Amino acid sequence: MSQRYEKIEFLGEGQFATVYKAKDKDTDNIVAVKKIKAGSKIEAQDGINRTALREIKILQELNHKNCLVLLDVFSQGSMSNVSLVFDFMDTDLEVIIKDNTIILTTANIKSYTIQTLQGLEYLHLNWILHRDLKPNNLLVNAAGLLKIADFGLAKLYGSPNRINTHQVVTRWYRSPELLFGAKQYGACVDMWALGCIVAELLLRLPFLPGESDLDQLTKIFQVFGNPTEQNWPAVKTLSDYVEFKPYPPVPLKNIFIAAGDDLLDVLGALLVLNPLKRKNCSEALQMPFFSNKPAPTVSNKLPLPQSIKKIKDLERPSLKRKLLNSAEGGNLSKRLFF
Amino acid sequence: MKDVIDVMELQREKSRRVQTLDYRQLDFASGFTPARFIFECGIKLHAQPLTIASATILMHRFFKEVDPTNYDCYLIAASTLYLAGKVKDDSLKIRDIINVAHNTLHRGSSPLEIGDEYWNMRDAIVQAELLIMRILKFEVSIVHPHKYMLHYLRSMEGWIGKDKWNSIPIARTAASFLQDYHHDSTILDYAPQHIAIACISLALQCYGIRLPLIEDNEDEAWYTMFAKDLQKDKHWEIMEKMMEVYNKEPESA
Repeated sequence: MSQRYEKIEFLGEGQFATVYKAKDKDTDNIVAVKKIKAGSKIEAQDGINRTALREIKILQELNHKNCLVLLDVFSQGSMSNVSLVFDFMDTDLEVIIKDNTIILTTANIKSYTIQTLQGLEYLHLNWILHRDLKPNNLLVNAAGLLKIADFGLAKLYGSPNRINTHQVVTRWYRSPELLFGAKQYGACVDMWALGCIVAELLLRLPFLPGESDLDQLTKIFQVFGNPTEQNWPAVKTLSDYVEFKPYPPVPLKNIFIAAGDDLLDVLGALLVLNPLKRKNCSEALQMPFFSNKPAPTVSNKLPLPQSIKKIKDLERPSLKRKLLNSAEGGNLSKRLFF
Repeated sequence: MKDVIDVMELQREKSRRVQTLDYRQLDFASGFTPARFIFECGIKLHAQPLTIASATILMHRFFKEVDPTNYDCYLIAASTLYLAGKVKDDSLKIRDIINVAHNTLHRGSSPLEIGDEYWNMRDAIVQAELLIMRILKFEVSIVHPHKYMLHYLRSMEGWIGKDKWNSIPIARTAASFLQDYHHDSTILDYAPQHIAIACISLALQCYGIRLPLIEDNEDEAWYTMFAKDLQKDKHWEIMEKMMEVYNKEPESA
């Protein structure tokens, strides 16, 4: 791997990269090393991977507690392979959502949503679009800190003469304007994806799991009704616009029966068909839900998957801290109760 | 009288521009030659101005870290152009770069056949790209003076007054100074805001424009409101460096 980083274990593999858990021998910190795949021989002849370069460039400019920052970049060998080094993160929101042993209370959801919004607000204020928000890219560490990761599709936005591709964002989190082929778009595509993620935190299942791009639009309209000239002027001018059979909108209350009105307002402000009507991060953070009771769960009290909790408990050798924890009460009995 | 001189100057510049350089005869000239090569290739490739500017900055940064005699400056130039295309999302195809660079170095030659020479060049550019990245510690983000200059100029438009502004090409001249200054490696030594101001100052000096409603004195100049930290002597130093660039240009092939 490298002189400095000692591989501990294989963590996962994506389309562009392989990720390892490793130890930084200089600092003894545990890190994640993302090794960009050299790709086929043809790709190697094109030199440094564009996606990797884009990610490096954007990451070097970032510094926010809710964004996964780049610690180091290295490459070795004559092949154009590049590795990115990040803080090690224990799990991600997808694992947490799928873990049936975890109860996600309103306070928990509020905490995750605020953390994501704050990270995303920072990105948008710096004119960076993430373009691939999904639970799987929201990493969480054992201390309950959430960080937005994977900037392989991220891009600077705001330039009026720049044409973007609409083939971004994993389908289930893709906004209606992208599905209709919009080539010029802004932060609103991330806001839609965020709305889908909040919905998924409530449902514990993907909110709009379309099987194709057309099915995705169908799923969207089955909930929100069809777009009209009134609620979304000029929608028909988008290049891939197609007319759908008419669906009546369904009140969000009927879908998210357990959610409070203030949380439904947040969903309703993010999941708006017309991209210009969606709230941005700063506006969303001002909504009553985030200041209403219950207060968001403090990071280190957020529920974690069993596997991580065990490790976390093992790493807690001090009796004093254990005593302190049980003195605080709460934690242990709650776990037994569920 | 002044008009006549200007026209003659223009003529002379035009005739000079038509003549082509034989890069193989030129030496490194502290980065001027490869920068000139980047501009020529970049323009032929229809690259965006900021892509070309980025390529020259990456090239200057690279040669600041290494001994220039150890590297072929045209290979590095071609490679920084390729890298800048990736950094700026301005896709320059490697085959186009090879063809343009080859033809610019060997004027009048036919495009390279797909063969050993082509593949060697391609390998060399790709390997140089990684080398450049490593030497630059993967730090390829560049803060350009361009955006600052644009905003300063926009503010000045109202300050000077529309009529006067439209009759004198200050913005155009300042932009030319900025582009030309990318030939010089001292561009790395100054803050982008300061470079932007120096370009505008030089343009104002050329046309003898004085800004209304402000007196230049010891501790205040027209640019104080844009950059409080720019000292007078630093300001002059940058302008001198910009003017020196024009003495470095080789007379003809």
